[in-house]
Amino acid sequence: MQKSDILENLQSIVGDDMVSSSAAELYCYSCDASQIRGVPDFVVRPSSTDEVSKIARLAFDNDIPLTPRGAGTGLAGGAVPVEGGIVLDMSSMKRILEIDLDNLLVFVECGVVQEKLNEALEPYGFFFPPDPGSSAMCTLGGLIANNGSGMRSVKYGTTRNYVMGLEVVLADGTIINTGSKTSKSVVGYSLTDLFVGSEGTLGIITRAILKIKAIPKERSVLLASFEGPELAGRAVVKVLSSGIVPSACEILDRNIIEAIKSYDPNISLPDADAILLFEVDGTENSVKEGIEMIRDACSSLASNIRAASDKKERDEIWAARRLVGAAVSRLDPLRTRVYVGEDVGVPIKELPGMLNKVNEISKEYDLPIMTYGHIGDGNLHTGMCIDVLEDGDWDKLNLVADRIHRTAISVGGTVTAEHGVGSARSEYLGLELGKGLNVMILIKNALDPKGILNPGKMGV
Amino acid sequence: MNGYNMRSILKCVRCGTCRSLCPVFDVVGWESASSRGRMLVAHGISQGMDADEGVFKSLNTCTTCGLCEQTCPSGASPVKVIENARHQLVLRGKMTDAQRSLRSEALEKGNPLGEATERMSWLGDSKKHLPQKADYVFFAGCLGSYRYPELTKRTFEILKKFGVTVLQDEVCCGSPLLRTGSDPSDLISNNLEQIKQSGAHTIITGCAGCYTALKNDYPEKMSVIHVSEFLAERLAEMDISKLDLKVTYHDPCHLGRCNGVFDAPRQIIGSICDLEEMKSNREKSKCCGAGGGVLKGYPDISLAISKSRLEEIPKDVDYLVTACPLCRTNLKRGNPAVGVLDIIDLLEMAMG
Repeated sequence: MQKSDILENLQSIVGDDMVSSSAAELYCYSCDASQIRGVPDFVVRPSSTDEVSKIARLAFDNDIPLTPRGAGTGLAGGAVPVEGGIVLDMSSMKRILEIDLDNLLVFVECGVVQEKLNEALEPYGFFFPPDPGSSAMCTLGGLIANNGSGMRSVKYGTTRNYVMGLEVVLADGTIINTGSKTSKSVVGYSLTDLFVGSEGTLGIITRAILKIKAIPKERSVLLASFEGPELAGRAVVKVLSSGIVPSACEILDRNIIEAIKSYDPNISLPDADAILLFEVDGTENSVKEGIEMIRDACSSLASNIRAASDKKERDEIWAARRLVGAAVSRLDPLRTRVYVGEDVGVPIKELPGMLNKVNEISKEYDLPIMTYGHIGDGNLHTGMCIDVLEDGDWDKLNLVADRIHRTAISVGGTVTAEHGVGSARSEYLGLELGKGLNVMILIKNALDPKGILNPGKMGV
Repeated sequence: MNGYNMRSILKCVRCGTCRSLCPVFDVVGWESASSRGRMLVAHGISQGMDADEGVFKSLNTCTTCGLCEQTCPSGASPVKVIENARHQLVLRGKMTDAQRSLRSEALEKGNPLGEATERMSWLGDSKKHLPQKADYVFFAGCLGSYRYPELTKRTFEILKKFGVTVLQDEVCCGSPLLRTGSDPSDLISNNLEQIKQSGAHTIITGCAGCYTALKNDYPEKMSVIHVSEFLAERLAEMDISKLDLKVTYHDPCHLGRCNGVFDAPRQIIGSICDLEEMKSNREKSKCCGAGGGVLKGYPDISLAISKSRLEEIPKDVDYLVTACPLCRTNLKRGNPAVGVLDIIDLLEMAMG
């Protein structure tokens, strides 16, 4: 089929205004926040599952690559159409279809923005826990397709723990429903779990049934300062093995502290080589007890420990922490944060050693690496800023990222704990998964025999 | 494109935070209508992308409200990049009919509205009795002179009592051209000459667009204040009675967020009646949708943004007050359930 015919077909499915093939629009959809690039032939903004199904059928019949996209906030190229074709911008499907408080669930379209869902739930005293730094703009569909998480995952787990069921459009346009509204079901393979984290390579998620939780009555934040990241890593191991489950456990190194202060000068963070931010939520008594237990566990390792003075300070700290990934760009006008090698995860016990190794790699290549992240679940974000106009900086950056990835795998860790594989990390899948990757390829071929769904991703 | 501009573009890490803020993206929905998209389009142009309708619709729909710039975690400056990209295209002769019209009308007639009549006719005969020199001079602006002459006249009536005069031959401040990529040097030179001749140390304006142009875009640093700032300091000298009203206030982006004038209008309102804030206000105030040439070039988008802003009016207020004629015009277009007043309208109501 000619391009003009495809355009006409797409227009007849979604209407003229919801398809674009203008050069400017295609350029805007040629990337996410990663360094992966690929220019689509068409961008389509469907408004219903039926439209998605018809588009998939058109793509299937004509062997056109189909790449679903939420808000395009990904850090691994998951939504980048590396083989061209159609980008499906799902952000127009943004209705919250049902808030079912009695069953502790919501039924949503996949384009709903995470924060909008929580704004809708707050008056009822409920929330949807997975909270990536991109909560203000990322869509639930993107969150599900990447099994995203965030600062609360140390206590509340990842998105997977909240997906009860999905509506998915398969490669040939078939619409299926997985899971149910029951909190337990053992009927068949867990197809829901198969699609969660599949990054659009197996099907297009259009709707979801999601679990919600009651907003905890109390929250309290403790800031512990350390003379180095490794000491902080040891404190995390000690806290988690003491039996307390914080609702957040974040590490910030010296550079990151500086970046936060540069973004919001009003925030008073201690001057230290590393800070751990702990949050405990629950009832008044359990929060008090949890904070004291953390204080005790950290006391022999920390140089200073203090509690956030009030709700305002707590909220300011978390708001700044959410944006720090990009805010490190503020530290030097000539340098920009580049998201490469930024999301490794290691077993908790390996944390102090991993922090040391990152430090060694940084020295070896003479490239500052800023460390922050959800250290409570072994997830380290390693931030690097380079002069993006210098080719030499890019070479160094890619070498450092490769070393970080291989180091994480060598200690039993993972190349990506929450940001996703996309195209940016697909080369490591064989190394990390071994023959498991062959099973993934078998599944991919069974569900997407023509290979039209988000090709070039996840090593399949 | 020089290295500085390229660095400004590349400062954007494409995190997408602006998607949650941009009032244009909110109503348009396409990535090219977000600040991140516009940064990409600016990059595309620097790499030789043709300036077609899609490029214009991306770059020219930015209202230059600055909310993205204020919030951008990586410290990028989308508004500067966008205005520069518009300018680069105009230099190559690439512009829309709306841009061309703004430019030719402003340069030929001294106002972008295309009005050929005497600019200061709102003054009537009183112009000849005014002093040619004074410490303060009132810059009436194009919208003030041609669209709101009565309001402008009444504003000046108040100012005149404090010894304020007007320029002998005021022309457009240049804001519409600056925002849409054209060169307003001739207009700026003319006004600068007039200001020098007036001997004034401070320029007073009632328009947010004029305010930011005069204050930030003129080659010579001048003291510029908004009429609300001037009058807020002189409230004690004015005969004001309290009104049994509750109003809300829309912060014009180019007055509030871009220049930090938040308190003076609120001080005036507070001296007259009750104020209940809009849902987003002060630094985080949402745009009315008119700025940056959007009302002229894309009236439908501008109207949709206005309607979205009007949804933030608190339920039980009597009026929506603002302090910029362009905001006022566009907020009126959105057909709000309450009346839209300029801050001077409210002041006059209180002055009986």
